[in-house]
Amino acid sequence: MSANAKQKRTLGEWLRGYTGQKYLTTFFFLLIPIVLLLIFTLIPAVNMFLFSFQKRDQLGVNPEWIGLNNYITLFTQSEYLSTFKNCLYYLLGSFVQQALALLIATTLCSKLKLANVFKGILFFPYMMNGVAVSIIFRKFFTKGDGIISSEGTLNSILSIFGIPGVSWLNDPNLVNWCLVFASIWKYIGFDIIMYIGAIQSISPDIYEAADLDGANGWQRFWYIVFPGIRPIVALQLVLAIKGAASVFDIPYIITGGANGTSTFVIKTIDTAFTYEKVGLGSAMGIVLLLIILIITGVQNLLFKERK
Amino acid sequence: MKLKRLLAGVLAATAALTLAGCNNNESSGNSSSSSSSTGGNSSTGNNSASGNSSTGGDSTSDNSSTPAQTGATLYDASKITDGLTLNVLTNRTDLVDSGYLDQMTDAFEQKFNCTVKYEGLTKYNGDVKTRMTTTNYGDVLMIPSNMTPEDKAAKFEPLGSYDELSKKYLWMDQHLCNGQVYGIPHMGSVDGGIVYNKRVWSEAGITELPKTPEDFIADLKKINEHYNGTVIPYLTNFGEADKWPLNQIWALSDSIEGDPEFQTKILTEKSDLLTPGNGYYESMKFMFDLFSTAEVLEEDHMTSGWEASKPAISQGKIGTMIMGSWSVSQFKEILTEEQGGHPEDIGFMPAPFNKDGKQYARSAADYAMAVNINSDAAVKELGKAYIEWFISESTFIKDQQGLSPLIGADMPDYLTDFADCEFFVSSPAPDALQGVFDEIDKESEVGTQNQDAANFKAKIAEAAFKGEGEEAFKAIVDDVNKRWAETRDKNEKYIAYHNANG
Repeated sequence: MSANAKQKRTLGEWLRGYTGQKYLTTFFFLLIPIVLLLIFTLIPAVNMFLFSFQKRDQLGVNPEWIGLNNYITLFTQSEYLSTFKNCLYYLLGSFVQQALALLIATTLCSKLKLANVFKGILFFPYMMNGVAVSIIFRKFFTKGDGIISSEGTLNSILSIFGIPGVSWLNDPNLVNWCLVFASIWKYIGFDIIMYIGAIQSISPDIYEAADLDGANGWQRFWYIVFPGIRPIVALQLVLAIKGAASVFDIPYIITGGANGTSTFVIKTIDTAFTYEKVGLGSAMGIVLLLIILIITGVQNLLFKERK
Repeated sequence: MKLKRLLAGVLAATAALTLAGCNNNESSGNSSSSSSSTGGNSSTGNNSASGNSSTGGDSTSDNSSTPAQTGATLYDASKITDGLTLNVLTNRTDLVDSGYLDQMTDAFEQKFNCTVKYEGLTKYNGDVKTRMTTTNYGDVLMIPSNMTPEDKAAKFEPLGSYDELSKKYLWMDQHLCNGQVYGIPHMGSVDGGIVYNKRVWSEAGITELPKTPEDFIADLKKINEHYNGTVIPYLTNFGEADKWPLNQIWALSDSIEGDPEFQTKILTEKSDLLTPGNGYYESMKFMFDLFSTAEVLEEDHMTSGWEASKPAISQGKIGTMIMGSWSVSQFKEILTEEQGGHPEDIGFMPAPFNKDGKQYARSAADYAMAVNINSDAAVKELGKAYIEWFISESTFIKDQQGLSPLIGADMPDYLTDFADCEFFVSSPAPDALQGVFDEIDKESEVGTQNQDAANFKAKIAEAAFKGEGEEAFKAIVDDVNKRWAETRDKNEKYIAYHNANG
């Protein structure tokens, strides 16, 4: 009886049935993210790849195919790739950031009152919008003149201790470190949470055993915690390199890339949108993509080794 | 379950709609941008013939005060139907928000029985260029900077021939392609001017405005000594994220040179872009010397900004800023007397340069209004009517204290310091060199009109702030000249011109 009924079902009935509904719902739910992904990521990415072989302006009137010329320009004229040197500041800063994050994470994992409150406070900057963070730090580093601008936060605090104000963003030796500081402030929360997660996944039995053997705090960290979280440390370092290569929002908003703070991404935007060499700008985007793909490849290799 | 089904349906429907919307836009953009450019020419040809009748018909409106009533109108009134909607894109978001533009346009809406909708774009230049890759960029809009003449011809409706329109309007060379004009500046300004606070300058004991850059800097030092740190003699505005305030200093160049053909001569005489003695070099040297004099500037250049400077100069906390005449009305309006401002103190002086004692000032065009080539025929005519009305009849130019693009119109009254100045308008490049200066400028990434922080103007400013001295300035200048010359010597139009002219 039931077998007979099945055979007689039309497509419409099947669609209204349980299996049909299951497939339909799945299909439509997946359709939306895939369509969005296509429209906003994949199609533009393919276009960017094609544009990188073209000489074209922003309006895209009569683009010209010029083969690899954009890439040749990029690698032969030093002004483009040389902007990577500012990334070194952020790379150095990210090592400091990792060490600091590890230290804070270890502290938070010990028996500490209000540990969750501290976790929340430290993670908060990461959730803030990069633009807001940049505007805060622009004010933070201001050197006031008492006529049209008042002293910024940092100089105000220094003045309590009788230290004269410093022109943080105008000094070419300081400005990049100021930006790195802002960057550490924003991103360290994420690292701390990652490390806390890793540290807490270590079995408490091992600590107990170590206590019985009379291990001190440093020994516990070096022989138990660190080996346990090594894969996460490796991952974090790779992410840090990626972040340093593509740093953008903080320098772009705080200094606009002035005073020797330009980065590769800022240079890309200027090339594509203010000098309207969209082809060359696309080529720069592809180069950055390749660099990040290579780093990701290295990261995957490291993880395979651990497994 | 029902809810899920409903949700899935709604989401799917919206996704499908978005998809369809995108496709529509793209396909219509491709087909219409290429086809309608030839049709436009013929319709403007008709205008000149029927133009007289349309002004005759509108005798009720009080446009008799405008000086240049002779000559053809831009539009054909018979093609305009009732009840149209005109979308206007503008860079003046402040005037859209305050309702000024809507109020000002009531008269136009009545005259043509239409609705005008304004859309203000905060980052006008970039945003409009992005929108111009589709067909949806308003009906009347301001032409963004750095467009090639060919691009203008592909995107805008021609408004009339150069020969015809240049009898009535100034600056008709700005948006020219094959003898057709594609945009009319909505107002003009005097480049080569400096905004200053009259009270600050006179209280410091300065009785005569400087006529050389050395005197100018000496005067600023005098202000600094007089006020002893309570007034900033000169504000750089360098903290603006894009470095447009530096372009205001670059804009002094033509007035320093005092030659209508200055820009063209750079190309025809094969000279370097920055040669000691020429206007471009002198304006940059002036900026370098000024910015090297740390005691007359604000302390923190990286955070000094435009919005904060406006009330401050009205209150007399800032002595001077190099800004075009377009800025004067903004300084005057920012604070009223009751709010502690002194609008009457805002003065505007010519660039402190002279040639044998004579000072020059170039009047130049602001953004030009153009009509979208993709709009309906009737809307296009209405757009042209709007442009003509805006320039000849609206109160905009007077309210904004700009220069009128109409030949023979009155000068605004804040130009009293320019009494001894000779005004001039740049002459167009010869046809063979049309747009070549901009092409070289962009291709070489010199960017005389660009505002990015990697620009040579920003580099000169930074070198001056660091106190690096003449050598650093020379190195930047040499680099600019080298890049300019290399790109220029590869430019096809430039080569062709010099082959033809020996």
